[in-house]
Amino acid sequence: MIRQMDILGFGSLVIILLTGTFTGMVLALNSASTLQKFGVQNVTGQLVATSLIRELGPVLTSLMLAGRVGSGIAAELGSMLVSEQIDAMRALGTDPIKKLVAPRIVALVVMAPALTVICDFVGAMGGLLISITMLHQASSVYISSAMEAVSFKEILGGLIKPTVFGFIIALVGCHKGLSTVGGTVGVGRSTTESVVNSSILVIAVDFLLSKVIISLLLDPR
Amino acid sequence: MAATPYAIEFRDVSLAFGDKVILDRVSFGVRYGESKIVMGGSGTGKSTLLRLVLGLLKPDSGQIFVDGEDITHYNEEQMMNVRRKIGMVFQEGALFDSLSVYDNVAYRLREQRVAENEIEEVVLRMLRFVDLEDAIDKMPNQLSGGMRRRVGIARALVGNPKIILYDEPTAGLDPITARTICELALKLRDLEEVSSIYVTHRLEDMDVLATEYVVRDDFGDVHFEQEGDKLCLINTKFIMLKDGDILFNGSNQQMRALSNAYVQKFLNQR
Repeated sequence: MIRQMDILGFGSLVIILLTGTFTGMVLALNSASTLQKFGVQNVTGQLVATSLIRELGPVLTSLMLAGRVGSGIAAELGSMLVSEQIDAMRALGTDPIKKLVAPRIVALVVMAPALTVICDFVGAMGGLLISITMLHQASSVYISSAMEAVSFKEILGGLIKPTVFGFIIALVGCHKGLSTVGGTVGVGRSTTESVVNSSILVIAVDFLLSKVIISLLLDPR
Repeated sequence: MAATPYAIEFRDVSLAFGDKVILDRVSFGVRYGESKIVMGGSGTGKSTLLRLVLGLLKPDSGQIFVDGEDITHYNEEQMMNVRRKIGMVFQEGALFDSLSVYDNVAYRLREQRVAENEIEEVVLRMLRFVDLEDAIDKMPNQLSGGMRRRVGIARALVGNPKIILYDEPTAGLDPITARTICELALKLRDLEEVSSIYVTHRLEDMDVLATEYVVRDDFGDVHFEQEGDKLCLINTKFIMLKDGDILFNGSNQQMRALSNAYVQKFLNQR
């Protein structure tokens, strides 16, 4: 379990840091010009933070995990299946679901929210960097504006999504890997299908979760 | 367990994948201490037999007995106990890529939470049996094909199973390495009295297993001897599969004397 968290979670840290930072930077850059037209450039921080916490942090982190980790899970389990390692495991008295699937699901359910928090944070820092260097805003303006977006409910909503997404990515990866047919060609097919299916599912479920979170948590009426 | 002469028994077992019939009302038994060599062309259901014994596949109809136990309808949890009695040698070894030779052989004991000093003793003993003590710290990708099979045999022997299933263990190996694998199977048959199903389509394997036997002398040294005219190997029988059916089930001598065209073509393929 810990090993899987290390491989799947910490192993993805660099791409999450890069994704988060550049997303925050581009968000600040794009939104500032629009906000300037309405004379509210001082809320750039709030817009960047809200976008990241609610939407971009969870979704981008999950898409990165689907590409890096989901594909890896499908490829690894698929290779184990076609080389009879899964059969060997069963023959040696081990349940592959307990041994291979459960630790990966738990690892991703735990690590996806953790990586999302990191993505949100570095994204906000990226936005701050652009606000200071290119938009010539005072850092205090950006930070105080961003802090307004950071509420318990926002963070909770932003953590529910990656938890569900992590579960989806691990489940799809394991399912595709363990249902591989057709040798090494089949492993490639399973890997591709894992990334495509989990990415589409993440985006579709994101819409549904957004609706539920807004209705129940952020804007209950 | 019920009193039965068979370590493994198939009674009218049928299995089909879609429209393709793999086994059609197949019945046979493997007596305790006996080696059953299963032959036949590709796709005749040889490896499927082994998967059925291990419960990795379930038959469409019929019954399968292992050590007198009807395992036909056992669930995965019940099968785990049955699998402890069985060692399986896979075609390519099926070693776990991410584990060293030591960890591969130790796998079953680790899962059973056996003490590490006991595990080490067993692993060393098993690797000594397959003559691979020097490879203990190597990873599977550092091993040759023959070494992988031998590690696979060592792993299958952990827990001293009284039933061993070999799934084409010499496929793709050079004659010398294949001979080494056959010798290990002979030692298990004659010195350890292991019951086994040995799936192969190599006549060379068949010759070795049908005509040679192993004895241990007073000093504990192992010798391989030719059957010659001295005795008939009663602990080795053959099954020939064709089109989901058993074409032949009997001794080497009976098979050689058979006039069936398919059997003769198979035996004269060299």
